Amino acid sequence: MIRDFGLLEVLTILQGMWTTLALSVVAFIGGGTFGTLVALARTSPWKWLRVATAAYIDFFQGTPMLMQLFLVYYGLPVFGFHVSAWTAVAIGLTFHASAFLGEIWRGGIQAVPKGQSEAASALGLGYIDRMRDVVLPQAIKLSFAPTVGFLVQLIKGTSLAAIIGFVELSRSAQIVASTTYKPLIAYGLAGAFYFAICFPLSRASAYFERRFSLKT
Amino acid sequence: MTTTTQQHIHAADTGTTGQDPIIRISSLQKYYGAFHALKNINLDVRKGERIVVCGPSGSGKSTIIRCINRIEQFESGSIVVDGISLGESMRNVNAVRAEVGMVFQQFNLFPHLTVLQNCMLAPMRVRGTSKKDAEIIAMKYLERVRIPEQANKYPAQLSGGQQQRVAIARALCMTPKIMLFDEPTSALDPEMVKEVLDTMISLAQEGMTMLCVTHEMGFARQVADRVIFMDTGEIIEMAKPQEFFSQPKNERTRNFLGQILNH
Repeated sequence: MIRDFGLLEVLTILQGMWTTLALSVVAFIGGGTFGTLVALARTSPWKWLRVATAAYIDFFQGTPMLMQLFLVYYGLPVFGFHVSAWTAVAIGLTFHASAFLGEIWRGGIQAVPKGQSEAASALGLGYIDRMRDVVLPQAIKLSFAPTVGFLVQLIKGTSLAAIIGFVELSRSAQIVASTTYKPLIAYGLAGAFYFAICFPLSRASAYFERRFSLKT
Repeated sequence: MTTTTQQHIHAADTGTTGQDPIIRISSLQKYYGAFHALKNINLDVRKGERIVVCGPSGSGKSTIIRCINRIEQFESGSIVVDGISLGESMRNVNAVRAEVGMVFQQFNLFPHLTVLQNCMLAPMRVRGTSKKDAEIIAMKYLERVRIPEQANKYPAQLSGGQQQRVAIARALCMTPKIMLFDEPTSALDPEMVKEVLDTMISLAQEGMTMLCVTHEMGFARQVADRVIFMDTGEIIEMAKPQEFFSQPKNERTRNFLGQILNH
């Protein structure tokens, strides 16, 4: 035992939690933005674009996120892009999340009855208006639960960023465990923090789902 | 009734004063894969004319009107709407759609928007109307279909007949020159058919150019200038309602009328 388990250790793990939150926010924003584009490309009228995005989705769904992060972190410098760990992880998480979110939202877009976009077209609305005002608002409601489900997985998945040097929640718990020889407390605390982030998200999801179903 | 007749004559007059038809469909061919859905359709519609299209299911009657605003693609032929040509290119398609209102069998109201928002969306997005003006326009047409009091409800809170009237109001908010109706009363409970037909009749009396796919033969008798019977992707018969119902020429028309009028 190098140190006792004290306030400093708790703060170390809390610090890790902030990094986890930051990684999650980056993944949400990057994945959400690109995921929308992936979903739109996947449902576009052009076959080549649908096929290309299908391949993109298959690749990122078919390989582990660990490997994806490695590929970006060690692969980009090969092509002459020397990026920071933050940039690398942001790119990796964005790729990963956009593939999954894109596929979830594709399902949502296709679940919106065809008559909806036909009615919008018949009124003279162009593609962008049709998507923004008519199809996507309904698609988001339809895919709300699986979206939150994936985001919860993603928050927990950010622990993989530890392998390229991030001291996030899991890694900080590991460090504290090895310096205090109290792994059960350290990992237990980390688990409690993960739960504190993910549980409210799941509950909020259930709440919004109920509210949506009441409204329409 | 006298006003209807007068407007009818007026509409017919403008049609014969040398102006081009408002819709001209020439040699239209449409396939679904190997299925020949529309076979060489030719049809001119004059301004102010009311046309009812009937026929058995799968006859192509809905497909024709869906081709007019390009909700459906077609393989060859041309459709000219109010001087705008819809060839194989999609370039003019939004210009045509803005001038042509459409009412669907399943209403297709936007469920996440209120009745008022349903009506305001297209004027704001397509015409660039301000929110305030769009609301005035929307309320005007909701009053026109006699449901202004439902403006702030969601479509799911209305009856089928009310929803279809909102759908008509929504289309009218774009002040279209032509209205297409695709079996507007087929999805309604019987007691709600009348309120929708009444709305359509009053629209016809105002001189709106209308193409209606419907099996409401009473409506056809009352407002149609011409009735078209279609079968297997072809126009089999086209006549004024009096002729069409009293002395149909084609065997298939007689069979069809026998089936829908005697049940």
